[in-house]
Amino acid sequence: MKVTILEWHAVAAWRWDAPADDVCGICSQPYDSTCPKCKYPGDDCSIVEGECTHTFHMHCIATWMQHDPKSQCPMCRQDFKFKGENVAQEPQGEEGRDVGEGAAV
Amino acid sequence: MALPKRIVKETERLMAEPVPGISAVPHEDNLRYFDVTVEGPSQSPYEGGIFKLELFLPDDYPMTPPKIRFLTKIYHPNIDKLGRICLDVLKSNWSPALQIRTILLSIQALLGAPNPDDPLANDVAQHWKENQNAAIQTAREWTQQYAKPQ
Ligand SMILES: [Zn+2]
Ligand SMILES: [Zn+2]
Ligand SMILES: [Zn+2]
Repeated sequence: MKVTILEWHAVAAWRWDAPADDVCGICSQPYDSTCPKCKYPGDDCSIVEGECTHTFHMHCIATWMQHDPKSQCPMCRQDFKFKGENVAQEPQGEEGRDVGEGAAV
Repeated sequence: MALPKRIVKETERLMAEPVPGISAVPHEDNLRYFDVTVEGPSQSPYEGGIFKLELFLPDDYPMTPPKIRFLTKIYHPNIDKLGRICLDVLKSNWSPALQIRTILLSIQALLGAPNPDDPLANDVAQHWKENQNAAIQTAREWTQQYAKPQ
């Protein structure tokens, strides 16, 4: 039997390199989804990790920092400091952090 | 403005898995406005009472805390005549990781543990410090008088 492929719909799924069932502690939306202000998930609405290892949508934590004069992490109340770089960033140069299969593709 | 998903989720969870002794029901015409009832904790002067509160989620919730007020009269050092509540998590210690559910639990805990050293109702706090037994007795009477379920 010969099958001719007439049409091909490629479907790709991506997700941030963060626990899949986890939601942002601020907006309660999954990390794969956007913050409440954005429409399209992805690079425009990234997620960030603090030095305390708590993760949020970048837009959510940025809005919270504007509201909170103490700039504390909403989860653990330590001073929130961005951990070096975006957790979902592609490996770059020789630093090539281990992003693994879970990374944004 | 559409209701943020977080509020939808919180409401659904409050309905599906209510907290024992607490109910929170949104108004049909304003889903940011909730009718709340809290049962007085056992072993407290509020035992047997059902206290009504109103809860409103401001536009910038969860960046700012919910606004909550007792509607039922209550004799408590941290709740004033207008029903306003002195609770750190509703003010300077608010965090967007807190939820309606956790805030209502904190309020229920406050009923079980009045704190006259951080008062909002000064005359009540004074009474509480000078004569705790008498203050507790007054709180019991108010519970009987104002917080009895019809
Ligand atoms: Zn978020
Ligand atoms: Zn966003
Ligand atoms: Zn943290």
